[in-house]
Amino acid sequence: MKRLLATAALSALVALPMTVQAAPVAYKLDPAHTAVVFIVDHLGFAKAMGRFNTVAGELSFDKDAADKSSLSVTIDTTSVDTNHAKRDEHLKSPDFFNAKEFPKMTFKSTKIETTGDKTGKLHGDLTLLGVTKPVVLDVTFNKDGVSPASKQETVGFSARGTIKRSDFGMKYGVPNIGDDIQIIIESEAVKA
Amino acid sequence: MALLDDLVVQTALFPLVVGVAAVGVVRLAGGRTRGPRLAAAGVAAAFLAAYALIVGLPALPPPSSMGRLFWSAVAGLVIGVGADLAGLDRRRGTWLLGAWVTASLLWIALPVLPGSLDTITAAVLLLAGGWIALSRTAGESEGAATPGVALLAAAVAVGGVALVGASASVAQLAFALAAATGGLLLWNWPVERHAWGNAGQAALGILVLLAATLTFFSSAHAEALLLVLPAFFADRLRDRLPLPRTAAGRAMGTVALTAIALVPAAAAVGVAFLLSAGSDVSGY
Repeated sequence: MKRLLATAALSALVALPMTVQAAPVAYKLDPAHTAVVFIVDHLGFAKAMGRFNTVAGELSFDKDAADKSSLSVTIDTTSVDTNHAKRDEHLKSPDFFNAKEFPKMTFKSTKIETTGDKTGKLHGDLTLLGVTKPVVLDVTFNKDGVSPASKQETVGFSARGTIKRSDFGMKYGVPNIGDDIQIIIESEAVKA
Repeated sequence: MALLDDLVVQTALFPLVVGVAAVGVVRLAGGRTRGPRLAAAGVAAAFLAAYALIVGLPALPPPSSMGRLFWSAVAGLVIGVGADLAGLDRRRGTWLLGAWVTASLLWIALPVLPGSLDTITAAVLLLAGGWIALSRTAGESEGAATPGVALLAAAVAVGGVALVGASASVAQLAFALAAATGGLLLWNWPVERHAWGNAGQAALGILVLLAATLTFFSSAHAEALLLVLPAFFADRLRDRLPLPRTAAGRAMGTVALTAIALVPAAAAVGVAFLLSAGSDVSGY
């Protein structure tokens, strides 16, 4: 019996290095190097652009198995910035982000599909104005390693996607102010 | 751009036309006895149609304050019409609609309550103002013109203050309510044909809820709306005017009442404009 147990223990030890996989590593979004930008049609003349200045989030990143990664982001809707104070005030009103009632919008990933060496589709639930809907972003993993600037382990990625604001109950001004919102995200995350 | 996407059409023309039509349809459908008493329901009905056009039909249950405003307005219309159909007298009807306004206001403001002392003070002032307005328009023998004019003036004030305070949807909705009320007034000028009824009181309650949305969820200087309360006492000044007690005199009285009631409305918008330091209200 002792011999059997010893053999089993030895087998387990030998097998261990082959079965262990790289665990996901926890990162935090670097607010100084994270931009969440939106683009919307304005009366058909041109696109209006804006961004959110206060974004926080956590990334659990598995370089060897990207589909095991996950992302959670919280955006402060009161930080909306379109380089026009009066318009920003309007965007915070019940017409759009209703920031007094809904000061945060959140995104939680549900699935990551890899589509290439450095590309994938990020599926997740976006909660805006109290409404949660699934969204899909095209994501590109750019680079990981020690940043020469911060000397910290850093991972960088870009994401693009389009949502319909009316899906979240933000219907005011449609179609004069576009329903389709293009989203551009550029972010660096540092090891937590 | 489709006609219904035009801001002027959405805010003025559409609710006015729907208001005129709805009042007429309700009047006809109600018959000789009930029709004149129920006709004012056309105002709230036109407001709801304008809301659906301007903001879109909200989900049920509503996730946001704007959605709660719409469904509260639906409830108010149902309660008002129900009270009129049940033959509820104006005193009891006002208590019923006052209770509806109070409950709806608290429901709409739920995300910010209890909040700071400022929030509680604003809620108390809104409720006090709402009850004063409801009690002033609850005269037993009152026709639609006098309370209708007061509602029109107050709605213009809420719309103007909202416009200055960068809340365009509330501004549009308030102006739409004013236009819908205009639809009722067109039926009642120069000759008064309809009663105000509990359904009319529901339209007034909707304006209180619009003011609440503006107060709690925008950066507008809603405190300026306190100045519009004298519009609900404008009939006292009109009654002192030396107008003949004839049909023409009554028609002139309604015009004079409108002019008098619009003075506090203009004052409220002016003060809101000054408080916002001459903020730019042009499009951007």
